[in-house]
Amino acid sequence: MEENKNVDEHLDEHNYDGIQELDNPPPRWIMMLFYITIGFAIIYAAYFFWLDVGDLQDARYVKKSEIHETRYQLASQSSDEIVALTDAADIEEGKSIYKEMSCFACHGMLGEGNAIGPNLCDDTWLYGCDFQSVFNIIKNGNAAKGMTPFKTQLSDARIQKVSSYLLSLKDSKPPNAKGPQGETCE
Amino acid sequence: MENQKFYYDNKTVKLFLLATIIWGVVAVLVGVLIACQLAFPAFNFGLEYTTFGRMRPLHTNAVIFAFVGNAIFAGVYYSLQKLLKARLFSDVLSKIHFWGWQLIIVLAAVTFTLGISTSKEYAELEWPIDILLTVVWVIFGWNMIGTILKRRVQHIYAAIWWYLATFLGVALLHVVNSFELPISLIKSYPIYAGAQDAVVQWWYGHNAVAFFLTTPFLGLMYYYLPKAANRPIYSYRLSIIHFWSLIFLYMWAGPHHLLYQALPEWVQALGVTFSIMLIAPSWGGMINGLLTLRGAWDKVRDSAVLKFFVVAVTAYGMSTFEGPMMSLRNVNQMTHFTDWTIAHTHIAGMAWNGGMTFGMLYWLLPRIFRTKLYSEKLANTHFWIATLSILVYAIPLYWSAVTQWLMLREYTPEGFLAYPNFLETLTQILPMYTLRIISGIMFLTGFLIMVYNLFKTMAAGSVEANEAAEAPALVLAGKRKPLNETIHRWMERKTVRFSIWVFVALFIGGAIQIIPMIFIKSNIPTIDTVTPYTPLELEGRDVYVKEGCYTCHSQVIRPFRWETDRYGDYSKIGEFVYDHPFLWGSRRTGPDLARAGYVNGPMYKNSAWHYNHFMDPQKMNEQSIMPRYDWFAKKDVNLDMTPNKIRAMQTLGVPYPEGFDEQAVDDLLWQANQIVAELKLSGIEIEPTKEMVAMIAYMHKLGRDIEPNTNQNLDSHDTGE
Repeated sequence: MEENKNVDEHLDEHNYDGIQELDNPPPRWIMMLFYITIGFAIIYAAYFFWLDVGDLQDARYVKKSEIHETRYQLASQSSDEIVALTDAADIEEGKSIYKEMSCFACHGMLGEGNAIGPNLCDDTWLYGCDFQSVFNIIKNGNAAKGMTPFKTQLSDARIQKVSSYLLSLKDSKPPNAKGPQGETCE
Repeated sequence: MENQKFYYDNKTVKLFLLATIIWGVVAVLVGVLIACQLAFPAFNFGLEYTTFGRMRPLHTNAVIFAFVGNAIFAGVYYSLQKLLKARLFSDVLSKIHFWGWQLIIVLAAVTFTLGISTSKEYAELEWPIDILLTVVWVIFGWNMIGTILKRRVQHIYAAIWWYLATFLGVALLHVVNSFELPISLIKSYPIYAGAQDAVVQWWYGHNAVAFFLTTPFLGLMYYYLPKAANRPIYSYRLSIIHFWSLIFLYMWAGPHHLLYQALPEWVQALGVTFSIMLIAPSWGGMINGLLTLRGAWDKVRDSAVLKFFVVAVTAYGMSTFEGPMMSLRNVNQMTHFTDWTIAHTHIAGMAWNGGMTFGMLYWLLPRIFRTKLYSEKLANTHFWIATLSILVYAIPLYWSAVTQWLMLREYTPEGFLAYPNFLETLTQILPMYTLRIISGIMFLTGFLIMVYNLFKTMAAGSVEANEAAEAPALVLAGKRKPLNETIHRWMERKTVRFSIWVFVALFIGGAIQIIPMIFIKSNIPTIDTVTPYTPLELEGRDVYVKEGCYTCHSQVIRPFRWETDRYGDYSKIGEFVYDHPFLWGSRRTGPDLARAGYVNGPMYKNSAWHYNHFMDPQKMNEQSIMPRYDWFAKKDVNLDMTPNKIRAMQTLGVPYPEGFDEQAVDDLLWQANQIVAELKLSGIEIEPTKEMVAMIAYMHKLGRDIEPNTNQNLDSHDTGE
């Protein structure tokens, strides 16, 4: 390295409470690093602002979102094609989704309902009795009344499973069940 | 030339050393407590005074201002006198400085526990304490500059440049960031709103790290490291270059705390580029420190002091490389809002500030007490435990950060978030939080070993309060001698001029960001649909501030698909124009709340849910680590203050109609009664004046005013149907 020339020459008069200073130049690589980072800063500014090449965050988001849409084709099936599942494994999976999504916070561990949400085990429903209605209210919610829409969080297939689980709860008569709300279904 | 006789003031140094040790234990203890709270919510003890939201500011402030602050003053006051061959300027100022500083610390501890807080990170102190802090800080500067002016040495040494930058930098940052409008002795609103407040706050926050945790310690390094190693400083020229470049560049880099957030792009770009340019100036300090140890490495093996210094300086180098890397936008999207930042700050805090302080204590305290260190062996034990504990701290948290980030952005093959429930990602990393407790206990154990060692040392020795010394009086050298005196060398003896140039270097970076943010309107594009907070929402917001909710919940959504799918449309600058202070947060221990009030969004919960959740979060989500806030249902909002708050907001430019302060209480009760009625439908009885009602109103205001569909063409993600 270059600093081996004149290495460790003491600076006269530099003596502070016994601390002396040497006249070494800064290591060359640290100065190079400094210039490179300054160069980076200039290129960065040019890329995003002066030359207008780079996407700023709004534009970048739109682009990324388009890629996302094409990749996943989020277009849903029509709910008419979705029917209740009766397979025990699917019901069991529906139950685990019920837990995973904290549905119990508003509807109780066993679907018995609580101060927030209605009983899901009786034969009354607020938004319609049939499978499609249950599917729809989970998917689209009724936010003003407190039901969260889950369309951005759960796929149709998973909503189908959790809906099927809920319908399987009918007449399960859990303890502390909340009273009837909504229309009575056959 | 005849020698003048004078006396070094060792008593003041001793007092600051003792304060460092005592507050250090407190700061680490509170750290262990909040680490426990994050792993086991029972450690919130069900009391409002001990919840995480109030203890976290206590921990950060205790570490920064109590432990590190006292260490700085001890180290500065000792070295300053020796380097200038002069007694501290004024015994009275020293005394006021010491006791004033301790008073600030006690007041901070009391007010944070009581929930008196501005919510601005590391600047949570309310306005009367802010003023006290300013006064005591000026006394410190006065005492230091007074000492410099009556020195018996021609030039000021590099360490003192750093001390001057520290004094001027912190004074500038603290004053500008603390402009606030008081409405009572214990409550104020910052004059800046939303994105402006964010820029000012993180200009402050970033540079508090610079000028409270970095520059004073570089100064201490320039004195204590060559003293302890008995080696000359490697390069005087490097000292000059890295000093000026560091203090100038640092002040620009604050916006790297706000990348991808609701901030103009040019401000963000300054944060990125200036952070990158800071690598070399920061490393200049590390290199000058480590190269100074050439020829002394054999001493490092035996000396705990030097070992602490080496680890400290190395950790400083690591952190100042890691920091700029975290400022790159693509890296930042992972490191921000996760535990990465927490690990980063703790490497810097425990290893750099801790290591420098421990090394200094082991070197300085025996000298002040005119004896030998009680046990070199115990000091080495402390070193190994402390170093190991830093690894046990950082590695799990890096792991946790990567894990949580990967989970948060993972999609199922159908295109849905793989972990739509935020809590799942938190539950996954909780084991790492348990490991952090172990690290904290280790670090505390090492600390206590040091306390024992130092108290034994003190018992064996005694302080010479006034240590006699002599030196010839200073004859000022007069005009610059252009042939054999460089400009810098000349400035080193023109200390006032030197200080002015330091101030100029410090001033520019902040001014270029803050002034345009406040005075150029195009930086803050407003949104017509965004309305001011109703009186009830404003009261709820103040409860949110008081409880420190911002310590775990952010309120700003970044423009990533995996954030907008989870939380709702990303945040816009214009949404925050009525936010005094801004509440964007810096770590998401819980989910973001920026759109908690947007009715059709994924984050909306109804009033009954919020009521039950505040009363007992674990009832709603067994694995939640949020403390319960059941006192919200018992404590009343102080309606006497409401009109004052409205008037204060009007003064700050929030467009309430004239005379609205008179109707504020009626308006508040009207809105509260609606929520009360809604809760009643769910069988919940509550009075309209309770904090709970205000909090629910505030939750339902968040992000409500902006309809994604009315917002240019950025709504493409909301078409899932």
